[in-house]
Amino acid sequence: MMDLGVPNAQILLAAEQTIYMVFVSLALGTLLGMVMAVILVLTNENGILKNKYVYFILNTIVNIIRSVPFIILMVFILPLTKEIVGTRVGTTAALVPLVIFIAPYLTRLFENSLLEVDYGIVEAAQAMGASHFEVVWHFLLPEAKGSLILSITTGTIGLLGATAMAGVIGAGGVGDLALTYGYERLNFPLMLFTVIILVLFVQIIQSFGNYFAAKIRNH
Amino acid sequence: MIDFMDVSKQFTVKKQKVNALENVSLQIADGDIFGVIGFSGAGKSTLLRMVNALERPSSGRIEVNGLDINQLSFSKLRQVRKQIGMVFQQFNLLNSKSVYDNIAIPLRLNHMDEGKIEERVSELLAFVELTDKRNVYPTQLSGGQKQRVGIARALATNPSILLCDEATSALDPETTDSILRLLEKINREMNITILIVTHEIHVIQRICNKVAVMEQGKLVEHGSVLDVFCNPRQEMTKKFVKTVIADEIPESVIAVLKQDQRHHKIFSLRFLGEDVQENILCRINKTFAVETNIVFASVNELQHTVLGIFIVQFIGDEQQIQSAIDYVLKQSIECQEVTV
Repeated sequence: MMDLGVPNAQILLAAEQTIYMVFVSLALGTLLGMVMAVILVLTNENGILKNKYVYFILNTIVNIIRSVPFIILMVFILPLTKEIVGTRVGTTAALVPLVIFIAPYLTRLFENSLLEVDYGIVEAAQAMGASHFEVVWHFLLPEAKGSLILSITTGTIGLLGATAMAGVIGAGGVGDLALTYGYERLNFPLMLFTVIILVLFVQIIQSFGNYFAAKIRNH
Repeated sequence: MIDFMDVSKQFTVKKQKVNALENVSLQIADGDIFGVIGFSGAGKSTLLRMVNALERPSSGRIEVNGLDINQLSFSKLRQVRKQIGMVFQQFNLLNSKSVYDNIAIPLRLNHMDEGKIEERVSELLAFVELTDKRNVYPTQLSGGQKQRVGIARALATNPSILLCDEATSALDPETTDSILRLLEKINREMNITILIVTHEIHVIQRICNKVAVMEQGKLVEHGSVLDVFCNPRQEMTKKFVKTVIADEIPESVIAVLKQDQRHHKIFSLRFLGEDVQENILCRINKTFAVETNIVFASVNELQHTVLGIFIVQFIGDEQQIQSAIDYVLKQSIECQEVTV
């Protein structure tokens, strides 16, 4: 392997940190985002549990968080981070802002996916005597699955971009490696290498997403 | 038994009140194939969707098998909905699930065990003649096949009522016919009451025993298909009936009739059932000094009964024509003078 000015072990560690941050926050963010998206879809004006107040409050929260750039959100919620994980710095500490950043983003994407489902499906479900939970679980989610997978793919890539900024609170990761060792040390080869790594990550994630979505949609 | 009692429904569209239904009262007896016909926007789908409370009335009551559907708790309503199958114009199948899984959904919602589900779904697939499509996905099916899956799904829980919301309107005429035959078979073999909403009069002609005609949220006419089709009273009904049962003298024939110098009158005769067999015109010719000339004739099948319409020119003197008509009326054949 060519000399990049940093030990290979450090590069591996950075990749590991990035993968850890992306997937843990993705898992938590998906869970939260899904719950919020379902609530939005059920309570909106045409929803089966139409509720102006719940919809308005949740919708506003999502909009507010989404309008704060990640780097500002991250430093803004440092006290909260301290409360939750006991420290303000490090890879695990970065999970808190990452989850708070990605959950509303995924909420919007999931909401759109769920809204794409033909309303007739919901009606058929109701006509069968399905409970509200069953409407979501047996009808809405399976019908939106392909689209939801693409939403998760888009979210994952967004998350990858956000992790690069997590270096600010000492979270490490590939982005941090590029900034502190590549940019600040004027190490162009390392910079190029990390860019290639990130591009590869994105390609792999997108290809997986497309593959699974297509597999489901081709039925 | 479905009983609509003085049901009204108002929608607010762009701050304007629209009456979707106005004081509709209607009874659908067990075993009926009840058709509701009207142009789009007549309120017929709203009416249908009130049976399983997908739509709630602004006033009035709807009773389904003796239960006031709008007074039930949500869990009780869900139980009742499981007894009412529903079929949609756009099928509303889950594209993410195979034909088998689509039909199995209502059974899974009932937490039936997989062995029994397998048995029931196989039975339903055979009934709708789709056994070979078991593992296929809906996007690979034709419209008619999709509707068969929709019907099988609606029948899965052994409902006592089947609601069909324009079930054949997205299908071509031939497929429509096969779906109608299937619905008729369901009514006959499973003794399921069918309520069908449509804008196609021939659907009513083909399978319904009762019909209701709707216009702008109002019920304008209802009764047995035989009565309504033989004797349409309202303009709207006449318009619909005319498209399947022709009773007009062709233009060129009218032109000839107008030039006829002999003393004549024209009558439209309607025969129902076995009357058609009897050759009344022949007997008129033999008994009275009247010459008869058929200027229009049609024979239609309704509810497995034959409806014959003859428009006949009676040529002869006034008194003879009158005696001939009296004779016709005595045979309880409906007779109306037609002016050209």
